[in-house]
Amino acid sequence: MIVKWIEALRNNLKTLVRVLIVYLVAIVIFDAALSRHEAHYMIDKIPAYWTFFGAVGCFILIKVAKGIAHLFLSKDEDFYG
Amino acid sequence: MDRWLHPALFFFIGALLLPLFRGKAKKFFILLIPTLSIIDVALMVQGVYGSYHFLNADVVFGRVDKLSLVFAWVFTIMAFLGALYGLHVEEDGHHMAGAFYIGSSLGAIFAGDYLTLFIFWEVMAFSSVFLVWYRREQRSVDAGFRYLLMHVFGGLLFFTGMMLYFFKTGNLVFNQIFPADAGLAEYLILAGFSLNAAVIPLHAWLPDAYPEATVEGAVLMCAFTTKTAVYVLARGFPGFEVLAVLGTAMTVYGVFYAVIENDMRRVLAYHIISQVGYMVAGVGIGTEMAVNGACAHAFAHILYKALLFMGAGAVLYMTGTAKLSKLGGLYKYMPLTMIFYVVGAVSISGVPLFSGFVSKSMIVASAHEGGRLWLMTFMSLAGVGTFLSVGLKVTYFAFFGKESAIQTKEPPANMLWAMGLTSALCFIIGVYPKVLYDLLPFPVEYHPYNLHHLSEYLQILSFTGLVFFLLVGKLAPEDKMNLDMDYAYRKGALFFMKFDERVISVVDTFWGELYRRVGLALLFKNARISYGFDRKVIDGIVDGSAVAVRGVGSLVRKLQTGRIQAYIGLSLLMFFLILWLLIKGM
Repeated sequence: MIVKWIEALRNNLKTLVRVLIVYLVAIVIFDAALSRHEAHYMIDKIPAYWTFFGAVGCFILIKVAKGIAHLFLSKDEDFYG
Repeated sequence: MDRWLHPALFFFIGALLLPLFRGKAKKFFILLIPTLSIIDVALMVQGVYGSYHFLNADVVFGRVDKLSLVFAWVFTIMAFLGALYGLHVEEDGHHMAGAFYIGSSLGAIFAGDYLTLFIFWEVMAFSSVFLVWYRREQRSVDAGFRYLLMHVFGGLLFFTGMMLYFFKTGNLVFNQIFPADAGLAEYLILAGFSLNAAVIPLHAWLPDAYPEATVEGAVLMCAFTTKTAVYVLARGFPGFEVLAVLGTAMTVYGVFYAVIENDMRRVLAYHIISQVGYMVAGVGIGTEMAVNGACAHAFAHILYKALLFMGAGAVLYMTGTAKLSKLGGLYKYMPLTMIFYVVGAVSISGVPLFSGFVSKSMIVASAHEGGRLWLMTFMSLAGVGTFLSVGLKVTYFAFFGKESAIQTKEPPANMLWAMGLTSALCFIIGVYPKVLYDLLPFPVEYHPYNLHHLSEYLQILSFTGLVFFLLVGKLAPEDKMNLDMDYAYRKGALFFMKFDERVISVVDTFWGELYRRVGLALLFKNARISYGFDRKVIDGIVDGSAVAVRGVGSLVRKLQTGRIQAYIGLSLLMFFLILWLLIKGM
């Protein structure tokens, strides 16, 4: 049953992607609509701050981690013999 | 119940009785031990039990308060889940090592003094290493020895600190230490504790050993060692700024490696460092809410991290590999395992309705309330990395992604049941956090489900997901290993061997030759002179004492038989002595 559901989703990727885009837009609007009069710090006052944080943070993590790995961290499996 | 029964006793006695059982009775017995311990913890009343005066110090086996109880609860529950998951294991030794390991970690959290804590601390290290060695591969044997060496090193730091502390204060009572009072003794103890908590740079033993442990052993190991360390840090060192900073650094360090590692269990092992980082940071921030958050997170973390290790272990058990570069498309063959793994993954990522959300957000919120915005920023970045590595990367490349040639089926029923039960607990804590909050050491006034929190977490998680799918090609797992701090002692040891071979042995040979040529000639001459003196003066005095020394020597020689069974016998005797003390204390 589970397998069938997953395959149904995989066969309708386009619809799935559209639904997800609507969802992303919706949560940004939701955050922008929240009241901010209890905010103490600057980061609490910017609408959709965490949207920006999540996207940029993820991008930086992938780039930096993979970059440093390729630079010198990554070795063959039998490096220590 | 005004009499107190140490829950460790069930595990110690149970381990010794285990080989007497066969077949179904054995399986029943393996599950009975943790069940009894859960009942024991449920009936416990707060107080101090089992205290003795021993070696000029007060020894306390049972300090039962809210802080030790919250850990006792999760340890005994985890013991049951771990036992269920490993029910199919045939070797008695594996179950016994597990029982000793769990029992000694319970001993450590109830210990009220450093001496008791130290003894259980060492038993933990020496019993858990067998869970690595039982894998019976050369890599595991090597990793086990490195694991043991690092823990012996940590134990020595702790022991030295303990001795200095004793000389300074005249007692070994283990209570909260205030940063202003801390000197060398306290910082050595802190360093010993930190090694077990995998605080960087003393962390490399963890991702080195856990991925080489047995499938069932890793599930236990990920729960007890680091969380016992979190407990002792929360007990002894709340408010130490160094912990707040290092803990936050750990959160990012762990996910950094989790993003690039290839082996599923190594991704998870690195990720333990990140998660324990939150707890260490919570202890370091030191407010009531932060320490509460550390305890809540330890509780939630033990369950979902074990669940993830169960899922990864099931994949390894069924397919023979946990390397993401070799896996893919497993959802077809292991849909239940996939669902349970995903429950663990969303719990750890802090998705609302699951346990990580109600515990992690507490620590992050305490950093926020204290105005520690840098700490909060890095913890949130680690939250991004958590979802990216454990949530998305592993799930995608193991269960979805490109099809691999591997065809398999679901793991044995006991593994599925263990995963199902753990998943249920993660969900229950997520939707009904009161069950967890009521166990915490300080009274809490914290509501995770407010609109700002929900919005914050949904944004972080969703947009991490978006970037992941845009950059998924960049994240393809590679058949590589990554350097870490263990380089220092793995290559360092080789360097030392070479140094020994090339330099020390050359100097030694030269010195020996010099001695033979020059020293001996002088010595002979000298000897002739002293011989005369010796025969006339010294002999008379020495003869008397020589007889006495020979007498003592032969007695020691009888004890030091060099036969291994005699030593084991002596150790067992010591073990029964401790057991007797425990029982007498009830």
